[in-house]
Amino acid sequence: MRVAWLVSGGSVLTATALFFLVATQQLPLSDWPRAWSEARTINEIILVYGMLPRAAVAILAGAALGLSGALLQQLLRNPIADPSTLGISAGAQLAIVIATLFYPDVVDGSRTSVALFGAGVAAAIVFALGWRASFEPVTMIVSGLLVGVTSAAVSAALTLAQGEYLMSLVTWNGGSLSQQDWAVTNALSVELFVASALTALLIRPLLLLGLGDSSARSLGVNLKGVRLGVATIATMLAGVVAANVGLISFVGLAAAAFVRGCGVRRGWAIISLSPLAGGIFLWLCDGLVQAVAGVTGETFPTGSITALVGGPILLWLLPKVRTLSVSAQSNRPAVRVPLSKGIMVFFALLPIIVAFAYFLANTGQGWVFLSLSDAADLAPLRWPRLIAAAGAGGLLALTGAILQRLTGNPMASPEVIGVSGGAGLGFAAALSLVPTAGPYTLVIGAATGGFCAMVAVLAFALRQNMPAGKLLLTGIAVSSLSSSVLAVLMAAGDQRAWQILAWIGGTASAATPATAIFLALLAVSVLGLAMTMIRWLTLFPLGIPTAKSLGVPVGVSRALILALCGLATGAASVLVGPLSFVGLIAPHIAIRAGFITARDHLVASFLLGSIIMAFADFGSRTLTFPYELPLGLFAAMVGAPYLVWLVGRR
Amino acid sequence: MFEALKATAVDEINNAFGSKNVGLVIDGKPILREVNLLFPAGEVVALVGHNGSGKSSLLKILGRQIAPTHGTITFGGIDIEQYNSATFARSVAYLPQDISSGSDMTIRELVNCGRYPWHGALGRFSDLDRRMVQSAMAATHVEQFSERVVGTLSGGERQRAWIAMLIAQDARCLLLDEPTAALDIAHQVDVLSMVRRLAHEGGRSVVIVLHDINMAARFCDRIHALRGGRVVASGTPRQIVQPDTLNEIYGVPMNVVDAPGQICPLAYVE
Repeated sequence: MRVAWLVSGGSVLTATALFFLVATQQLPLSDWPRAWSEARTINEIILVYGMLPRAAVAILAGAALGLSGALLQQLLRNPIADPSTLGISAGAQLAIVIATLFYPDVVDGSRTSVALFGAGVAAAIVFALGWRASFEPVTMIVSGLLVGVTSAAVSAALTLAQGEYLMSLVTWNGGSLSQQDWAVTNALSVELFVASALTALLIRPLLLLGLGDSSARSLGVNLKGVRLGVATIATMLAGVVAANVGLISFVGLAAAAFVRGCGVRRGWAIISLSPLAGGIFLWLCDGLVQAVAGVTGETFPTGSITALVGGPILLWLLPKVRTLSVSAQSNRPAVRVPLSKGIMVFFALLPIIVAFAYFLANTGQGWVFLSLSDAADLAPLRWPRLIAAAGAGGLLALTGAILQRLTGNPMASPEVIGVSGGAGLGFAAALSLVPTAGPYTLVIGAATGGFCAMVAVLAFALRQNMPAGKLLLTGIAVSSLSSSVLAVLMAAGDQRAWQILAWIGGTASAATPATAIFLALLAVSVLGLAMTMIRWLTLFPLGIPTAKSLGVPVGVSRALILALCGLATGAASVLVGPLSFVGLIAPHIAIRAGFITARDHLVASFLLGSIIMAFADFGSRTLTFPYELPLGLFAAMVGAPYLVWLVGRR
Repeated sequence: MFEALKATAVDEINNAFGSKNVGLVIDGKPILREVNLLFPAGEVVALVGHNGSGKSSLLKILGRQIAPTHGTITFGGIDIEQYNSATFARSVAYLPQDISSGSDMTIRELVNCGRYPWHGALGRFSDLDRRMVQSAMAATHVEQFSERVVGTLSGGERQRAWIAMLIAQDARCLLLDEPTAALDIAHQVDVLSMVRRLAHEGGRSVVIVLHDINMAARFCDRIHALRGGRVVASGTPRQIVQPDTLNEIYGVPMNVVDAPGQICPLAYVE
């Protein structure tokens, strides 16, 4: 506790010192009053219209994010809630990308409204997904990750498709704090003032929410109203910061965690101190960025520093998250369908897929059926993609089904093992550390990163008393750290950005006959291995105590299962990128269709996943002919409506 | 000397579980202290005590769900740490307090799970397994809804279905953590008399955590009482259901009254 106070004192001093160090290099302190009243020389102008507002923006934006994070954490009773972990910032970013691309005249002047709209939609989706699980922490974070990763991927794909126009926009996304005047400062201070006033109005009922829903309701709290109000304030804060400064992640998380680390317990104190901590934190990070820039000439966006600091904080906070077991109240059909029927449907669909893949083509003017000889000519181009996509789909769907059974959480999907996130981090590290990185270096980097992430998650899994929910969060922490680092690297805006964009999108056109056969063989062997784990996957949904008392070696079996999942996800993500919606959707559909026992569920999910991906490959290749959509992205776009439907279902 | 050795040997054969100086500390807080208890084979033994007395923790230690910080537990005279997981699971079955999971299985599938320690992860589900499942469902009277989904059962039926899984496990000893907590009085009697019958007719030992002292006295052969992590009383229901003993267990003034036709008096709060 004393250490925490020392750290906070030290941070203030360091931040101030860094600011004056950089600023007095620009202009001696004695000249400041004159410059303030009338800036004449270029140095004076830089100080008054560049550096001072930059410091002010850093403090204000940090405070806004700190307040937003503290509000969300109190509202959701979840110590790792934050605009970035809930996907709100990513939603704002996506809205701005879309508006810049398709409605450039709208963005001009009303960028804030656009960002607010995006942030609001993202927050609404995440909250609606968490609604039925009564905002259970893990479900909220998993939904936030889904929304965040999807928004990032869609932004990436749009940027990729539109080429150079958008690069400046991407730079903005990285969270650069440089200023030309005081306009942003003014906008942020007005916003922060309004938000603080509204918070003060809602603080009492908000604190009562900490007692739990039913107690708060019986004390006369209007649950819906308070939730809506607080969520709106938090979203607004994050949206305005995103519009003015860009994507700055984890500040809210770090600020509130720090305030708690200082020994502050009471809700209102955390909420009022977090903005202060957030402001100092961002100012300090920005000071570091500027000092580094002054010495080396290399400028990073400030968002990169907050992401690097915030990611480890997220991991450190995991043990504090109170996980609840979400008992999925089954309104599932009591009717069960024998697996043989599912397999028959699969074989009935096969000829259709083959016909689509080989014979149907979009010429740009219209759809045509190819003649047999044309189809035969194109076959060598077509079959590797088809096989590879189907294999990847099967692998992802199988992984999703396994994870949903293992953790008992219906929102678990392959991202949450963190393998693709780790691979992304390794990819990014290879890109930035090796200046002349060729494709092989990058693949090795990605493989190393994925492997390290998996080892970390497996180490958690071996600890028998680790609840399944926390297992999920470990992978999520890796994934969200990865997506913010990638976003920041893209913001550097040089050639590397294109490589990262291509990585995020995933493409099936990279499939060669060799990789296709490899993926197909791997998919079949993984399915075979999964069949040997059926008994474990039947017992795990009964809860860890029961599995343990029946003699299941909990640690070892979990590690084996996750190792298999990691292998499957890693292999599939090379082809389709880190997006794996099919891994979320296929297991859900399989269960709703009546394949309920562990064996039926896994096999049906596998078959369904491969079908979905085969169709997605067809769509990504033909829909925007002659351009090709990234395969992972197209699958996500098919999956998004399902997500919406899931939200709408009561 | 020889007599003493013989006495220990007899003790070990006649007792399912024995605990020696068992202590449990979680986050620096002592949960259990110097627990020395014997759980005779073939008896239904109740663990009673106030909230937080450590009765559930003791049951979890017996079931190897958590490891004690001090002391040893023996089962059949052998330290439970020396059993491998399959052998232990064939001997001791544990019913957790929370049985809300597994609600989309049918009863038969749930009871099938109990055979895991016998066939393992890859072994064939044999005819013997099938017969054991059938007789477990018969013994707990759940066979008439064996194809129904667990999620659609009432609380009492669901409790019986889970106990059927434990019976299918074919273990000599059952550990039950508050199996009657969420049940109305009729279902409590239903489940507890079934447990008593399974123990006395099937030669099984049962350790059961119960809240209600009168239910414990009515259905159990022996009662171990904990308070603040220590054993404060241990004996037959008649020995335990006495004003002074009850007062010591629960820390509130209690008295007893003779009920016509009952072996044991009834306890009530003064």
